[in-house]
Amino acid sequence: MKRFIIAFIAAYIFMFLWGWLLNGVLLKDVYAETPNLWRSQSEMMRLFHWIIIGQALVIFAFVMIYACGFAGGGAAAGIRLGILLEIAAIGMRLAIYAVQPFPGKLIVYGSVSGLIEMVIVGAIVGAIYKPASARTS
Amino acid sequence: MAAFIFLFVFGFLWYGTLMRGAHEEVQALFRTKPDFPWLILGHIVMAFFFTTLCVRFVPAGGLGASATLGILVGLVYAGPHLISFAVQPLTTKILCGWIVGAVIQFAIAGAIVGAIYKPAHPRPVRS
Repeated sequence: MKRFIIAFIAAYIFMFLWGWLLNGVLLKDVYAETPNLWRSQSEMMRLFHWIIIGQALVIFAFVMIYACGFAGGGAAAGIRLGILLEIAAIGMRLAIYAVQPFPGKLIVYGSVSGLIEMVIVGAIVGAIYKPASARTS
Repeated sequence: MAAFIFLFVFGFLWYGTLMRGAHEEVQALFRTKPDFPWLILGHIVMAFFFTTLCVRFVPAGGLGASATLGILVGLVYAGPHLISFAVQPLTTKILCGWIVGAVIQFAIAGAIVGAIYKPAHPRPVRS
């Protein structure tokens, strides 16, 4: 349980910082091209807790999947899980692009950065989380 | 194939039919008509990699374990919906519909994959 919590916190901190760097700094100009699709800055700040909860949910479910089906494989297994989940998420992103008028480059940037993000999240979780049997042997 | 058909049909019924009214409340956020080639390609990618994940997660197959994985995957994808709600002017009704839809959709897709998939060489059961 202790390893689960440490893996969760470490991966969450990374995801939060990555999300801020990518969406808040690097892609700021791309988002500015479609202002009608986004809330105002003040509204986003008022709803900021949903971003925190959303990221926490992603990481919690990720660590749960790793702990239940991939634990013991180390960073490599975590990276594999991250890649599988993210490529499926790219499929979801394409489906969303089909119904929402996002600029195509936002989908491309989001997918590439998402893949990098989940690879690193997987490596962090895989490196930190060890099943009880692996630690006692 | 079965996962793709289910994901696509469920998506059409849940998001395209049941939630149509909720989506129409914020028309500016949606295209007037879906771009079907991207919609189909997206579902193919989702179904293929979700099935691969199920096979890796539950190598022996099995409905219950695959459905559990589906619920967890649904939660992984519910997180971005919460984030979208914070940054896009979506309604609470849409947020709830998307989250519930994602969890149900992937739980059932997981159950379908678990029920159909059988490993080529099942491991011998120890006596």
